[in-house]
Amino acid sequence: MTHRWDDDQHLLDDLSDALREARHASAIAAYGKGAYAWRTIDEELLLASLSFDSLLEQVQQRRSGPDDERVLVFTASPLSVELEVRPGQIAGRIIPQGAGEIRVEAADGVTFHIEADDAGFFTLPGAVRGLIRLRCDTATARLVTDWVRL
Amino acid sequence: MYHGPSTAALYSEIVDLSGGLSSGPARGDEMGDGGHPITSLVDAAVSGDEPAWRELVDRYTPLLASVLRRFGLGATETQDVAQTVWLRVVEHLGSRREPQALPSWLISIAKREALRCVSDWQRSVPYDPLDPSWLPSATEGAEPDADLLRAERHEALLAGLAELSARQREFLILLTADPPLSYAQISERARIPRAASGRPGPGRWAGSGGLSLSRPTWPAGSWPGTRQPAWTVPPSATRMDRERGIWDDAPLG
Repeated sequence: MTHRWDDDQHLLDDLSDALREARHASAIAAYGKGAYAWRTIDEELLLASLSFDSLLEQVQQRRSGPDDERVLVFTASPLSVELEVRPGQIAGRIIPQGAGEIRVEAADGVTFHIEADDAGFFTLPGAVRGLIRLRCDTATARLVTDWVRL
Repeated sequence: MYHGPSTAALYSEIVDLSGGLSSGPARGDEMGDGGHPITSLVDAAVSGDEPAWRELVDRYTPLLASVLRRFGLGATETQDVAQTVWLRVVEHLGSRREPQALPSWLISIAKREALRCVSDWQRSVPYDPLDPSWLPSATEGAEPDADLLRAERHEALLAGLAELSARQREFLILLTADPPLSYAQISERARIPRAASGRPGPGRWAGSGGLSLSRPTWPAGSWPGTRQPAWTVPPSATRMDRERGIWDDAPLG
């Protein structure tokens, strides 16, 4: 069976199309190179992956509104973190419950600390927006979450 | 994870630069010693070699840009999503068992993050079921399947391009420049002797000291005979999966 790429000119035409449509490349590359500075090299640190985001569920059901809360779950073993993001308020919980120190890191370089109470609950300033991740230090383990844009 | 033939296997055959042109292998181009260029770059980046990471970014930026373009995001949103994607890739790079699967992994993260961005935008707008702008973007075109196949062709080509050496990539980009460059200009910019590049057409660059562009060879009956890259969409993917880009095993999120 022949294919359009059996012809060199078709191959190059398609490649040309593909490259022409690859827009914003210089800005994308710049962000890529900057990302390396955030690399985590602490091997003891658990990486909690973003395993649930209600934003992606809601879009299927077409029922979300701007005032709805957004629920995020970052999962690692044995420690996970949940976030509930509402306008003006962000509440979180460490699972299993327990006190801990949390550092919020924003990709723009701003970081600040908050405390989780004995039940694992914590609150972030509602104004926290943008690309962030959390580092949680508890008696059980230490973790860093995936980056997420709030 | 690839679900079919490796793009590496397919595309390492696209371009063969014969000897005498290169001033020595660039980073990650050590194909001759049995190492895969992407594997060695990923390994180096994981172990703290920042130039290796920068090289990976340069190689895969066109692919990422191409994937994000399909979602119709603005410039700011595109860059926001790209930043999230790269940060995700950096963080998970060391836990990937198959560095050669980086392109399919990158594509799936990009689709998911772009979808998240689109979802965030949609929920800020009151939902009107009769408003055609609420139709999923993947079905907007008159021929969604054709659009999808075209996008997948682009992804496959750009993933293949990323695996070539810097010099090979530069040459192909010159050949595909828009507006087209003259062969004299290509010869000059690619630093290829005029005699080797004096005849038009990539298939005619063969010759001692020159370039030869060999077309890829595919196993009989496999992609692209079926017109669909198997590693991008497995047959089990539902239509909704195909539109949403969730048919792979990339890290959630």
